Amino acid sequence: MSAALSCQGVERYLGEFESRVHVLRGVSLEVQAGSVHAIVGPSGCGKSTLLYVLGLLDVCDAGRLAIGGEPVSGLADDALSRKRNELIGFVFQFHFLLHEFTAQENVMIPMRRLGRLDPRAMRDRAAALLDAVGLGDKLQRPAHHLSGGEQQRVAIARALANDPRVLLADEPTGNLDTENSARVFDLLTGLVKREGKALLLATHNPQIARASDFIHEMKDGLFVRSAPPAA
Amino acid sequence: MPSPLYIALRFINHRKKAILLSLAGVILGVAFFICTQAQTQGFERFYIRTVLGTTGAIVVQDRFQPQFTGVLQTNETTVVSVSNPRRRKYQDGITNPEEVMRVIREFSNVAACAPVLEANTTIETDFRNAVFVLQGIDLDAELAATDLRGYMVGGDLGDFRQKASGLLLGAILAGDLHAQVGDKVTLTGPAGERRDFEVCGIFRTGDNLIDEKRGYIHLRAAQGLFDKPSEVSFIVVRLRNPDRAPALAAHLERLLQHRARSWQEREKGNLQIFRAIRLSAAITVSTIIVLAGFGIFNILTLMVLEKVREIAILRSMGFRRADISAIFLWQGLLIAGIGSAAGCGLGALLTWGVSRIPIRMRGFFATDHFIVYWSWHHYLAAIAIAFTGIFLASWFPARRAARLAPVAILRGSGQ
Repeated sequence: MSAALSCQGVERYLGEFESRVHVLRGVSLEVQAGSVHAIVGPSGCGKSTLLYVLGLLDVCDAGRLAIGGEPVSGLADDALSRKRNELIGFVFQFHFLLHEFTAQENVMIPMRRLGRLDPRAMRDRAAALLDAVGLGDKLQRPAHHLSGGEQQRVAIARALANDPRVLLADEPTGNLDTENSARVFDLLTGLVKREGKALLLATHNPQIARASDFIHEMKDGLFVRSAPPAA
Repeated sequence: MPSPLYIALRFINHRKKAILLSLAGVILGVAFFICTQAQTQGFERFYIRTVLGTTGAIVVQDRFQPQFTGVLQTNETTVVSVSNPRRRKYQDGITNPEEVMRVIREFSNVAACAPVLEANTTIETDFRNAVFVLQGIDLDAELAATDLRGYMVGGDLGDFRQKASGLLLGAILAGDLHAQVGDKVTLTGPAGERRDFEVCGIFRTGDNLIDEKRGYIHLRAAQGLFDKPSEVSFIVVRLRNPDRAPALAAHLERLLQHRARSWQEREKGNLQIFRAIRLSAAITVSTIIVLAGFGIFNILTLMVLEKVREIAILRSMGFRRADISAIFLWQGLLIAGIGSAAGCGLGALLTWGVSRIPIRMRGFFATDHFIVYWSWHHYLAAIAIAFTGIFLASWFPARRAARLAPVAILRGSGQ
């Protein structure tokens, strides 16, 4: 069975001329459905860049990407946008909710873009997702009236809106206190296991890394060690 | 509903105060544009109606002097042409008016035509003497070809019809002469012929040049007074479609070998003034829409700067560049749409209100209230200007939003 997310030999340069930096130096990775992979490493080692490349937000200078075994390298911008909409859910350190919308409406935004569901079905699915992240009683709450932890949980529900195969999380708990961090991580891993999704997250939090199925240690744009967490 | 429109509506709703000011600018710009165009074109149309009502769509007048081209054949292979290089000359008047009018009436666009014999004449009343332009008319033909009946402000056309020595005087001229209906006056033709006439009616066209200098008598009486028993000075032609006057005038000129002048040619100078005023009003009022456009440009540009994170997250959710651009273009289009609709309503209301304003105007034409011309073209032009201006105002911020690189924003946000 093909990996939910895979890449081979991914290279990425950032900057121009004398400030040009070789950020990713031939990274290869496979993430199976139902598994949680953590990327750890010092700031600036290329964790976020790898997530953006794998999430089709950025393009690599060399290497191959595939989602569910389907190659996605070299696609045009519009096609990449469609793949992101259908197959990938992002969770960022900052939730980036749209403050003009309620919690439920924020979750419905990716569904509206995809256009597969009618408005009633979208509302129902958004309500179910928010219920799953423990916000079933705050559907109509404006985004800016939610606490930081609640907003991040709305962002997780939004990332799951179109039932993506792959979840990419860039420091998803980096802006939360210990209690909320544990809660958000448990929520993410629970969803991944229950719904058979692949989760790749970048984190500085050693507890979260240890709770993952696989840890990739990154240094200077390369995985220097990839292994399950030590027992 | 497309997702960009859905988001645009919500963004607008959260910027109500800022947007309302620009929206008010669009509404006022559209409304003032419609109202000023209705006024300027209203006066222009009224002036044209006065021109057509007094002197017809086409005036057929002097005959061309025939030009001859001599041809000499010197031998079997050589032909020499000798032509007169002098400029075309005219011979005053029309010597065969019935024949010319018969030909004119053949054209389907011609509604009526009337012969007129005109000469400067001296009028003597008990009060004073004056020189004026006296026109001899065939009353029935004149009534069919002009709006004379509508211009009568005193006396009776029936009385004039009955009296061979009846006279109609322009209102200002009658006032200057202290002449009233029923008064006897003496007219002296250009050749010195004197005859007595009775004032049967007073008319007012609104055009001072006519009202202070013109009078009418019967054509037959004029031919006697002017000693021109069979000719006329010109023929007034009324058309069903006056807009086609220039083409028909040119055709009549070639066909009849008489000078034929359309109302557009005769009034070219005045019409240009009206058009310049209309254009000037349109440009001036459009600046309100342009200013509103600048306001919208500022609002949307600020919004793009404020929403860079939201734009990045929307891109991460699968929104294309075109979708991001559409969010901002939709906002512009919504403002343009609401502004145009409300502006058209307000413009119609203002136009109606202006048409009720009393104003006494005499000289160019006569009116006792503001004249407006209702035309959907004014509304269409106002909407086109509003949409073009606001589209441009929203296009630049929209393009800027679409070009934002989500990765750069997300990286910056994380630091």
